[in-house]
Amino acid sequence: MKALCAKSLTMQFGGLKAVSGLDLEIPEKVIFGLIGPNGAGKTTAFNMFTGVYRPTEGSIELYGKPAVGLRPFQITRRGMARTFQNIRLFKELTVEENILVALDQNPNMAQSGFFEALFRTSSHISKESAKHQRALDLMDIFDLASRRNLPAVNLPYGDQRRLEIARAMATGAKLLLLDEPAAGMNAQETRALMETIRMIRDKFGMTILLIEHDMKLVMGVCERIAVLDYGVKIAEGTPSEIQRDPRVIEAYLGKGAASHA
Amino acid sequence: MSAAFRSRYWVIALACVWLIQFVAIDQVDPYYFSIIMYAGINVVLAVSLNLVNGFTGQFSMGHAGFMSIGAYTAAYFSKNMIAADPQWATGAMSSVLILGALLTGGLTAAFAGLIVGLPSLRLKGDYLAIVTLGFGEIIRVLILNIETVGGARGYADIPLLSTFGWVYSWVVFTLFVIWRLVHSPPGRALMSVREDEIASESMGVNTTRTKVGAFVIGAAFAGTGGALFGHFLRYLNPAIFDFNRSFEFIIMVVLGGMGSITGSAIAAILLTVLKEALRPLQQLTQIDFRMIIYSLLLIALMLTRPNGLFGRRELPSLMSALKLRRKREESVRGAS
Ligand SMILES: Nc1ncnc2c1ncn2[C@@H]1O[C@H](COP(=O)(O)OP(=O)(O)OP(=O)(O)O)[C@@H](O)[C@H]1O
Ligand SMILES: [Mg+2]
Repeated sequence: MKALCAKSLTMQFGGLKAVSGLDLEIPEKVIFGLIGPNGAGKTTAFNMFTGVYRPTEGSIELYGKPAVGLRPFQITRRGMARTFQNIRLFKELTVEENILVALDQNPNMAQSGFFEALFRTSSHISKESAKHQRALDLMDIFDLASRRNLPAVNLPYGDQRRLEIARAMATGAKLLLLDEPAAGMNAQETRALMETIRMIRDKFGMTILLIEHDMKLVMGVCERIAVLDYGVKIAEGTPSEIQRDPRVIEAYLGKGAASHA
Repeated sequence: MSAAFRSRYWVIALACVWLIQFVAIDQVDPYYFSIIMYAGINVVLAVSLNLVNGFTGQFSMGHAGFMSIGAYTAAYFSKNMIAADPQWATGAMSSVLILGALLTGGLTAAFAGLIVGLPSLRLKGDYLAIVTLGFGEIIRVLILNIETVGGARGYADIPLLSTFGWVYSWVVFTLFVIWRLVHSPPGRALMSVREDEIASESMGVNTTRTKVGAFVIGAAFAGTGGALFGHFLRYLNPAIFDFNRSFEFIIMVVLGGMGSITGSAIAAILLTVLKEALRPLQQLTQIDFRMIIYSLLLIALMLTRPNGLFGRRELPSLMSALKLRRKREESVRGAS
């Protein structure tokens, strides 16, 4: 079964076709890259996958079940969670609270009912401590444990990006959509992030679809890559196939990225 | 944030309320007594409004509307119960009656909250503020035209059921429910909606349900506040629940700190006292100074403490901060 399967997805904004006729299949446990020049429609594709936009045309299947028309929270509960290109953390909440918000919706965690929480029953307390433990594990993975009580807004940029991934994982989703996870990170942070992305796939069996402009990261970590240009998929293949593809080089020409080929 | 505010503290608070009720309350001067009662009722209203405006980040301006619905339905309920059987006004029966009145007022207001909240919580910011403001006015005009509850003449001869013990038990109960709610999974969902609705929804939070839920609970407690109010004043009039009343609750929330239960409670008490303190001045000059003072207060606050008196801090975390400071001072003294 495919984690995600999109067929002829189109998103029309007035006269502009931000994405047109996109076919995409993401197998499970793969690290998949979605690249393309600025304004190519990558984020728009994410917004359609996650139910933020309703596609003008086309269909989406998430783990084999149709997903068009579902609200974002329903899609998350069915196993696909995302991060945002322009970071959207719960700014005034602490690092731990950011993760707990997601854990509270995680269908694989035991959740307490309203009255259990009101009367702090022992089952509620043990469920809460399980969540705190899980939050701690996630903070360890993403190197955030030392900042657990800091409001998210006070974190350095790289930490904010990693917290977004940690939070998306806390939802219990097995498919993560990362929108430019390395944006604003320095080379060393980016390298560490590559390691982490690989690790969460290997250790937790996550499937990852990521948008990224950092070609080193994309070519280094992705097993498969699709290229968008003006809303159209112009190529798909392994990193070395993509690097050799003339249409891709043309799309990137003048942007310097072609020199990686 | 310290979530541990153990059950025994709440029980102790309740015990104190009833101890005061049985031992000390008769000695209080009637004028001060009424201020104490209104302060308690205002705490219920301010804290419940904070749930919506402070914790969930939805700007509601119709709290007096929900309060009036609760006040009128509760009064209607208890008056009719007593009319059917005067026994209800006496002894232990009256305690059951006030609980029934609270339930009636709370549930009807909650229902009204649902009716208003479902369509209007799709609106954001200013639009929601205007819709809730309009709702408050519609309710007031509606009641003005309902003859069974006296219309413009007002609704009189409501039984005196709001004793100190019941009002303050309800204050403790309200604080308990809202405190525990805010410091639990549903509360974290509320705050995530306030912080970033899109991100919240993307983390699996059903934001519509969360917002409507907060609105309904806020309305329910406003209704119970109204019920207590009616059964203390023993008279209701639609003019009591005009926009100024809603505005007062908003000031309490903003003054205390959006997102601080402690802040709302303390601000509610402070403003109730302030309002009374200003009364002689107002009678002397025939000018209603309150709105001027409130406005000045708000301006001064925005300049000096833009997050309100407490920001988002709460009593337990303040206490532990104090303890920490004392410890540090002691260790400094010990070292020197
Ligand atoms: N809500 C919207 N309304 C109208 N146009 C939009 C909307 N969202 C995106 N667009 C347009 O759609 C096109 C694709 O935008 P999108 O954000 O998907 O690009 P992107 O590939 O993510 O680019 P970048 O690499 O800069 O993030 C752009 O021309 C953009 O202006
Ligand atoms: Mg983008």
